[in-house]
Amino acid sequence: MLDLMGIAVRGLLHRKKRSWLTITGILIGITAVVALVSLGESMQLAVRRSFEELGYDVVMILPGELGGGFGGPSSFSTSFELDTESLTEVEGVEEIGLLNFQSVYVKADGNEGFLDALGVSENIFSFFKVEIVAGRGFSPDERGVVILGREVARELDLRAGSTLQIEDHPFKVVGIYSADSRLDEDAIILPLADLQELLGEEGVTMALVRVAPGDDVGQTAKRIENFLYRSRGRRDLSVQTMEEVHEVVQRALGILGAFLGGIAGIALLVGGIGVMNTMYTAVLERTREIGVMKAVGARNSQIALIFLMESGLMGLVGGALGTGIGSFLNFAAVTAAKRALGTRVLEYGISWWLVLGALGFSFLVGAIAGLLPARAAAKLDPVEALRYE
Amino acid sequence: MRDEAIVELLGVWKIYHMGRRGRITVEALRGVDLAVRRGEFLAVMGPSGSGKSTLLHLMGCLDRPTEGKVLFEGTDVSTMRSAALARIRNRRVGFVFQSFNLSPNLTALGNVELPMVFAGVPRRERLARARELLSRVGLRERERHLPAELSGGEQQRVAIARALANFPDLLLADEPTGNLDSETGHGVLSLLSETNVEGVTVVVVTHDPEVATAAKRRLRIRDGHIVEASDA
Ligand SMILES: Nc1ncnc2c1ncn2[C@@H]1O[C@H](COP(=O)(O)OP(=O)(O)O)[C@@H](O)[C@H]1O
Ligand SMILES: [Mg+2]
Repeated sequence: MLDLMGIAVRGLLHRKKRSWLTITGILIGITAVVALVSLGESMQLAVRRSFEELGYDVVMILPGELGGGFGGPSSFSTSFELDTESLTEVEGVEEIGLLNFQSVYVKADGNEGFLDALGVSENIFSFFKVEIVAGRGFSPDERGVVILGREVARELDLRAGSTLQIEDHPFKVVGIYSADSRLDEDAIILPLADLQELLGEEGVTMALVRVAPGDDVGQTAKRIENFLYRSRGRRDLSVQTMEEVHEVVQRALGILGAFLGGIAGIALLVGGIGVMNTMYTAVLERTREIGVMKAVGARNSQIALIFLMESGLMGLVGGALGTGIGSFLNFAAVTAAKRALGTRVLEYGISWWLVLGALGFSFLVGAIAGLLPARAAAKLDPVEALRYE
Repeated sequence: MRDEAIVELLGVWKIYHMGRRGRITVEALRGVDLAVRRGEFLAVMGPSGSGKSTLLHLMGCLDRPTEGKVLFEGTDVSTMRSAALARIRNRRVGFVFQSFNLSPNLTALGNVELPMVFAGVPRRERLARARELLSRVGLRERERHLPAELSGGEQQRVAIARALANFPDLLLADEPTGNLDSETGHGVLSLLSETNVEGVTVVVVTHDPEVATAAKRRLRIRDGHIVEASDA
């Protein structure tokens, strides 16, 4: 087996240039597969981490249907009013956090302009953490205070203790926060009551409900939905568990992955056809040699194996190089993304199953592409082959 | 008589089909009866196209007869599967060709190893045997050379070493000196004679009178018939 491999390797080395050219096809395909799949993995991991941070025992209440208004602080959804007191009575509801995303006009030391503002109920930091990097957070019932994202503080050159005007009302900066992504640091957080007062409305744009330990999250979500319908008389709000939201995101990533994987698959198919073409040429060129090998006692299966190993090796070499280049591309992409977004959740990583899978798959593509040529070689009539010029 | 024969042809016909739908037929052998005795040195002569190579291929189990029987050590070749024939070619028979037919991408050593690779001989043993054979044909120093780096005579000697790798009982040589000048041919002939002296049955197809003279028995073939047989 190993010695037949030696013959196969000699065969490849004998036509180096052509072998390399052929390998390039597989290489490109596997590079694409590895880069895309590992990038997808990194993204899924980042998404999972984000959701884990929020916790799967949390239910979101949003206006309309999921998919429309879902997003971070920079998506401005229509606001709605919520009777939190009665909602607390629903079985399984432990705690309700309220959020209002709005755009506000801010003035500070000659700088002025619109900023994303997040009005939060006082308990909101039990749902998600923001890291205070300077000063402090605000305490319950405190009013007229604001904490700034690090980016905002940098841009406006403000620090803890400064004051600024929000919609022409004075606010005191009590702290600076950092977040996982630089995008999220480009906002300000203030008490919900303040934001509602500034805008002259009672609504929120999102409510987060923590489900009591021991209560089923899905069932509680159903109960909340029923309660909302009964008390409001219409289905203007949608209730989503984190699991459902996560699933939607995963599915979107999955579709993207399948699409990109399809493109990579086409590249691999083309690579495989290249291998097949090269192998047919090799069989034709070496017809006489095949005849000689048969004359000195090679069995048909041994001849087939030699050619299968040749094509499989081409696949494997292309696959190994492609895996290397692909994971480097992933590394470069993740590094670039981290630098651009300043995010910490996105991380470079390549799983061993992807490496093994890519290597196995590329060998398989090569071997399968070589199947028909190898069969043709094995079936050659030795006498005819020896007469071949 | 019969158990003395290593290979025996009984009323053998070989008909090739050529052209579109195989409508053109060539009768390469037309009813050949022949017994090759164990240990003999047989020369086959005859004009080009008379069926000499075909005869050799049948003796070496590289091909099956269209009609008649080829008995290799008493067993009918037509009844054997191709893997069994490959095994005979591998262990019992050695082929030497006019055009050497070495694998161009294997070194001299690799070429001699080839039949042993197919036989599954372990690497160590294979290398030792291949080196021994190369020494015997005087090419021990050239083991790392590719065929293209060797002269015709040297290539043919490598080919003989290859043919002897698995200790065959029967050596079949098809015009082994046909592409060599007479001096180099002489060296190749001595190797064949030595091999025969050591007990290997040798059948050589040749136009070379020197080779024919060295053989103990000669037969002449024309148009697929044996026309003349003579003992030396
Ligand atoms: N594989 C083949 N297909 C068709 N014709 C063949 C084949 N092998 C040999 N022949 C024909 O059979 C005849 C005998 O060939 P061959 O045995 O090679 O003769 P020799 O070796 O005496 O020159 C020739 O006419 C040759 O053209
Ligand atoms: Mg001939």
